[in-house]
Amino acid sequence: MTKKLLKKKAIVSKASALLIIGALALPLTSWSAIDAVTERGTVRVQQTVSGTIKDAEGEPLVGVSILEKETSNGVSTDVDGNFSITLSNPNATLTLSYIGYVSKEVAVSNQSFLDIVLEEDGTELDQVVIVGYGTQKKVNLTGAVSTINAEQLESRPVQNVGQALQGLVPGLNLQTAGLGGELNQNLSFNIRGGGTIGDGSSASPLVLIDGVEGNMNSINPQDIENITVLKDAAASAVYGSRAPFGVILITTKSGKSGPARVTYTNNFRWSRPLGLADMMDSETFAYYFNEAALNGGEAVKFSDEVLERIKQFKNGEIDYGTVPDNTGDRWQYYTGSHANTDWFKEQYKTAALSHDHSLSVSGGTEKSQYFVSGNYLDQGGLTRHAGDNFKRYSLNGKVSTDIGKYIKLSYNNRFVREDFTKATHMNDLFYHNIARRWPTVPAKDPNGYYSDPSEIAQLEDGGRVINQTDYLTQTLQLVAKPLEGWNITADASYRTTNYNNHSDVRPAYAYDVEGNPYGVAVGWNTPGYSSVFEHNRKDSYFATNIYSDYSFTLNDDHNFKVMAGFNSELNKYRTLAASGSGLIVPSQPTLNTATSQLLAEDGQYQHWATAGFFGRLNYNYKEKYLLEINGRYDGSSRFLQDQRWNLFPSFSAGWNVANEEFWTWNDKIQMFKLRASYGELGNQETNNWYPFYQSLPFYANAGGWLLGGTKPNIASAPGLVSTLLTWERVTSWNFGLDLAMLQNRLNMTLDLFKRKTIDMVGPAPELPKILGTGVPRFNNADMESYGFELELGWSDHIGEFGYSVRGVLSDDQQRITRYPNENGNLSQYYVGRKWGEIWGYTTVGIAKTQAEMDAHLANVSQSNIGNNWSAGDIMYADLNGDGKVDGGNNLLSDHGDISILGNSSSRYRFSLDLSADYKGFDARVYIQGVGKRDYMPNGPYFWGAQGGMWQSAGFSNHMDFFRDETSNMVQAGFADVNLDPYYPKPYFNTNKNFQTQSRYLQNAAYLRVKNIQFGYTLPSLITEQMGLSRVRFYISGENLFTATGLSDIFDPETIALSGWNDGKTYPLSKIYSFGINVNF
Amino acid sequence: MNHSIKNKIYSVAILLLFITLGGCTKYLDREPLSDVTPGVFFSNEADLAAYTINQYAFPSHGGWGPGLFGNDNHTDNQATGSYATRWVPGEYRVPQSGGNWDFGGIRSANYFLETVVPKWKNGEISGNAGSIDHYIGEGYFLRAYQYFNKIQAFGDFPILKNTLPDEQEVLKEASKRRPRNEVARFVLADLDSAIMLLRDVAPQGGKNRISKNAALLFKSRVALHEATWLTYHKGTAQVPGGPDWPGTGKVEGFNINIDQEIDFFLTQAMEASAKVADAVPLVENLKDNGYDSSKNPYAMMFADQNLDPYSEVLLWRAYNSSEGITHNVNHYINQNGGNTGYTRGFVDNFLMANGLPIYAGGSGYHGDDYISDVKEDRDNRLQLFMKAPGELRLTDQVSDGEPILIGNPDIVGLPETRDVTGYSIKKGFSYLSSQDEGSSGTTGSIVFRAVEAYLNYIEASYLKNGAIDAKADAYWKAIRARAGVNSDYNITINATNMTEEAKNDFAAYSAGQLLTDKTLYNIRRERRSEFIAEGMRYADLKRWRALDQLANNPYIIEGFKVFGPMQEWYENLVEQGTSGQTANISSSKESDYLRPYRVILNASNFVQDGYRWTPAHYLEPIAMEHFIITSETPGNVSTSVIYQNPGWPLQANEGAE
Repeated sequence: MTKKLLKKKAIVSKASALLIIGALALPLTSWSAIDAVTERGTVRVQQTVSGTIKDAEGEPLVGVSILEKETSNGVSTDVDGNFSITLSNPNATLTLSYIGYVSKEVAVSNQSFLDIVLEEDGTELDQVVIVGYGTQKKVNLTGAVSTINAEQLESRPVQNVGQALQGLVPGLNLQTAGLGGELNQNLSFNIRGGGTIGDGSSASPLVLIDGVEGNMNSINPQDIENITVLKDAAASAVYGSRAPFGVILITTKSGKSGPARVTYTNNFRWSRPLGLADMMDSETFAYYFNEAALNGGEAVKFSDEVLERIKQFKNGEIDYGTVPDNTGDRWQYYTGSHANTDWFKEQYKTAALSHDHSLSVSGGTEKSQYFVSGNYLDQGGLTRHAGDNFKRYSLNGKVSTDIGKYIKLSYNNRFVREDFTKATHMNDLFYHNIARRWPTVPAKDPNGYYSDPSEIAQLEDGGRVINQTDYLTQTLQLVAKPLEGWNITADASYRTTNYNNHSDVRPAYAYDVEGNPYGVAVGWNTPGYSSVFEHNRKDSYFATNIYSDYSFTLNDDHNFKVMAGFNSELNKYRTLAASGSGLIVPSQPTLNTATSQLLAEDGQYQHWATAGFFGRLNYNYKEKYLLEINGRYDGSSRFLQDQRWNLFPSFSAGWNVANEEFWTWNDKIQMFKLRASYGELGNQETNNWYPFYQSLPFYANAGGWLLGGTKPNIASAPGLVSTLLTWERVTSWNFGLDLAMLQNRLNMTLDLFKRKTIDMVGPAPELPKILGTGVPRFNNADMESYGFELELGWSDHIGEFGYSVRGVLSDDQQRITRYPNENGNLSQYYVGRKWGEIWGYTTVGIAKTQAEMDAHLANVSQSNIGNNWSAGDIMYADLNGDGKVDGGNNLLSDHGDISILGNSSSRYRFSLDLSADYKGFDARVYIQGVGKRDYMPNGPYFWGAQGGMWQSAGFSNHMDFFRDETSNMVQAGFADVNLDPYYPKPYFNTNKNFQTQSRYLQNAAYLRVKNIQFGYTLPSLITEQMGLSRVRFYISGENLFTATGLSDIFDPETIALSGWNDGKTYPLSKIYSFGINVNF
Repeated sequence: MNHSIKNKIYSVAILLLFITLGGCTKYLDREPLSDVTPGVFFSNEADLAAYTINQYAFPSHGGWGPGLFGNDNHTDNQATGSYATRWVPGEYRVPQSGGNWDFGGIRSANYFLETVVPKWKNGEISGNAGSIDHYIGEGYFLRAYQYFNKIQAFGDFPILKNTLPDEQEVLKEASKRRPRNEVARFVLADLDSAIMLLRDVAPQGGKNRISKNAALLFKSRVALHEATWLTYHKGTAQVPGGPDWPGTGKVEGFNINIDQEIDFFLTQAMEASAKVADAVPLVENLKDNGYDSSKNPYAMMFADQNLDPYSEVLLWRAYNSSEGITHNVNHYINQNGGNTGYTRGFVDNFLMANGLPIYAGGSGYHGDDYISDVKEDRDNRLQLFMKAPGELRLTDQVSDGEPILIGNPDIVGLPETRDVTGYSIKKGFSYLSSQDEGSSGTTGSIVFRAVEAYLNYIEASYLKNGAIDAKADAYWKAIRARAGVNSDYNITINATNMTEEAKNDFAAYSAGQLLTDKTLYNIRRERRSEFIAEGMRYADLKRWRALDQLANNPYIIEGFKVFGPMQEWYENLVEQGTSGQTANISSSKESDYLRPYRVILNASNFVQDGYRWTPAHYLEPIAMEHFIITSETPGNVSTSVIYQNPGWPLQANEGAE
């Protein structure tokens, strides 16, 4: 090191030393203890006692409730704060309660007049909120922060935290994802809407469980003490590049000093599939498909002979579902069979049983505390033949102890095991196939074997998926308090996650007419094939934090808190996978018992790391003017050295107007706080962990072009790497207003925000296809998410009847503000495009007659959409008046007759939480919903007969289609003419009527009663006799009622998921449950 | 307080901070640990082999259906239940995006060549020198194969020898199309490199890998294709320099002497094909009558699981059910009609075994009242490769001690398994029940068969010389002898009546005119008969310009003679036009023969009046997105450096007139 540098450092160290010493010299805050004196009387005479109740300033309090303890005898104060009560016991104790004031118990002790002062309740205002690397008084918050406590998660018969949180926190959006209600499917979530378009980077909130990054759905909801959601950049800034899209801080319960407290909670529940479509009966179905076939220029699918059999079966004249084919060896199915099967009823149970048990013990001394909890969840699946199940076991331990005067040591250990199993055959193809099984197909053939198309044999015999995930999280923390107000915290956490995934394929059989078995395909595999696949992955996550904060006050009014620290994270994983086929015994699906193609399938080593220095300064003047400055200097392994480090600052300020001298409405409005914040963060979540390294795809034994009968090794050209890739920057503005009114009975928080993602990894620029490979993406786009969050709470009681209402409303929209799409190609984003825009045709209507259609076609050609337009077909509007209906060149400047019909983004998410209690009884209704959403469903669930017969479905809703006298169904006398239908003529082989169009745009907004529960807590007299401190029984129901404008074929929460088409997914469930909470 | 101690403490603290920062740099250096970096790959022969095998994209069996044996559907040879829009001018439309204007395969080949060739020249690749040469030869072959597909799809096409950077201007410039003959010469040059480097037998994988003969055969295919294209399309916009050729003014440095080009390509085709034909003997035909061909090598060449022993097979794809690589060919071909069938025109076009056409006097034709009559005394290829009821279905299963036989064609059954014309495909027919179940087919899939070289030579030499030379004579006789047809082709030529042939064969025409050269016609007939159900037909019809006549003279596809004695086989036929009932068969009033596209006559049946044509369909339209991306003025597609193929509009979702 050079001399010059040394000198510079010496100056720095001197300065810092001075700062520290100066701080130490500050006067220490003095603490006073409050002594409580209790007096006891002995005489038992009935008497009347009167008195006045005032606040600390001597103002009388009106309407204070006075209750003789352990009786229902009560009165309240008059306008002068006076009261008078006749007691059943002169030595009674009076319980005084008043919203916004600390409740107080006063022993009468034979006095006749009581002069009582109630202290203002600081709990609401002094409530401390957990924020990044510390806590903050709620009243002094300047960022956008929401909190949820344990009660709001209680007694919900849900599988995981995500489901319980849905709708509770304004701005925390949780949505059904993947395959809907599948048992190992978690809700997807974001804070304040999408943050990137997902092309090369992702935007997900950081979830910290007791300070350690983790999966919130892996913890037992009963273990949660509270949840804080940091929504704006100012609040999440100390987490730097890990948290540009918000942070969810989950704090679990910990021990409190005192005797051991034991809590046991259980829950038993019955789940029923929610919102299954109603399949047509076989006869209706046959006519319907015949109609679609004829309309589409095909022959009928069901001959008169089969139709006759269908009718006979329906009428009970025959009891077998099919007959042999013309060669006599195989059963006929589909067009040749005649059963009447409702495949939803066949494949889903009417009720699945689940249960959940939690036990916790906590306690400790002044020096040491402990908390231990265990949980067992057994969640039954809805599938009838596939037998899916999810189990979770968790065991937590937390201990902390003072290891000296100034140092506290704590150790947390959390182990969670998740077991999930389902049939191997139960993949997305299974959901695709449920409604593609026709009602005419029998579940069992006439010999009693499961029929070939039923796929039940594959579900029951075709092998299992058995997944086990173990999470083990351990944290060791040292907190030193060398001086009052000065904390130094050092912690280290290690989390290992082990994924053990097994799947096997076993032969499944269908049977021919003579009862001889023949192999059927399990999933995509060859019939008769048996194999086993084992995939193990071990994640190791290591994080350290060292930080220190110091609080001090200058001149009584200037309050400071400074904090600085360092954080590093290292995330690694490795995988090991192998497969084998040709199982010696199918019932023993292990690699050891596989005879051929034993292959190592995977063996990855991956890693990434971040490190950052962070600091925060809080300042307030008399809790009136609040200021917070955050900064983080962050580095990420995703970027090469020259771009690796970045500084992310944020600022926020608040003004507690109600603390001003001029504020004279303190009796009505206790808090009136204005907040503003601005911050800039970086996003290190590039999809590729090594975006600057080219890699050449190489796969061993993977080629489809066999050599010597086996798969060869294959390699292909590496993709291009962009040298222009760099950090995405996320800036966020937030304006907020916090109100507490009417003695804090009414609380309101309003936030307005705008979050911009700048230099987002965007689309690969559209380049001429001659490049021959994917164009590398780089930072070439901007977007923003903007909206508001409103939270309103009211809490009060009328005598012993307590009630509270909490309403939440939030909205976010996303808009592209920069995007390289000069041509305005509509299949991509363009500047100004909002997420979720639905482009489509405008429907004029369904032509009732050929003449009406001809009159329409006289002005407008629809030949670009289809041909042979007739009565019952859709008339599309020629919006641009060019005489033809088309999508132009699909450009913003030339979009023909398509226009924006609506938007599929969920808007105005809301929830309403009503709760009440009276004398041990409690009730809660929790409603959640989306205020505005448009949706255009695709696929056969919506349209019925479309495409071809193999990709079509027939539900009762689809019968409302156009029929005139030429309809085959009408001619057959099966159905009446329907000239004013919902659906147009059904067609195989053309989608001309099934374009995205205004007529069929759905209103997917919904209101769902997520939870209703009733509880009863046994009176303490009874519980004490039983040696218990609290016993509560409850019944609880989930998803009990839904209101939506959406076609009832769909559930509003399971549209637009992955899978083949809308609706082809695992249903959500309606749940009825009961349980008990016992505290010992 | 002791300031100096404090100072020291804080100095150390700050020093630690800097050390941490320094440590962070290393801590944050995280390279991929288990990925292959391009720099280290291609250092040994196995790397080369792994790369080229991954580029094998040859047509082969797969998916649900009869595999390659369904690829002649939508031609005058073979029909399926649905129709192709290529036969309906106006309905075949310019796509918005995608299509064959795609360069993935070409880039892959170029990446290989530009990376490997320098290493090879510098001796940086370890392994057997001959093997390394071979795999580099495969690299050249694969680029040529990609390019030939582009010539067939679009004609003129950009020539690309290297991978390109992701820079708009470079790419736009490179997107300019070059005249098709130039592209074809580029393909031949690659194939010459490949032929020089490839071994006679691949270092591993036997005939599942490309070999020298495969490259020679492919070269003859490319050269003949280009030569015949230029010959028959000369004077149209489909040929560089022709009237209304869209490349006029857009192709820089363009000149062409078409006749010289034709001569060049014919010469190349002859040279390459003769090398293969002279070296590779045809597989023997036992000439059974088709009842049980399970021992006949000529039939089993298409249905065996190991095709290496068949001399004529130059490249094939293998299947293995325990690897999960299977197809469904016999799930359809053996069990049912597979939603396909030969047309009456095709069947009637086969010669009698004595070499005479069926209409010729004294041909001995037995008529077509029954399928078995049709096959009797015919070209043995028809006997082997077309089903007749009563022929053996399985050799490894019996039913009550009786052999399991092929039943009557199911002409009204489920569309997927229907016998569309009544004349059903038997090429690739396996007699093993294990091949019948879904996704369990493991019979080999042929990519190149040497007989094509024989045929290519005959056609090329005849076009160049105007006469059958000695080699061509020998090859033709060999083919006919193997096919079980009188090897004296002159008997056939002399008995040929072009007016009769015109009824059954699109290839009786070129440029809308009936051929007058009967030798040339019979060369085409030989090709049609030999390649029965092998997916060669449509490309041949296009290069011969054999579809123009359909513009004014639509062709109605027919099948077997259902309204003859064979009507007895069916109980539930509902003729088209039967009132109150939905038809499942065409009307006997208009033809005794099954007309699969005249069963349902409503307005959405676009081919009910027959196959029609417009010359634009000889080449594919380029999708609109490619013009948009390469426009000089954004949004104005007419300023694109790419030009659309003749007859196609610059408008998405519109057809050619």
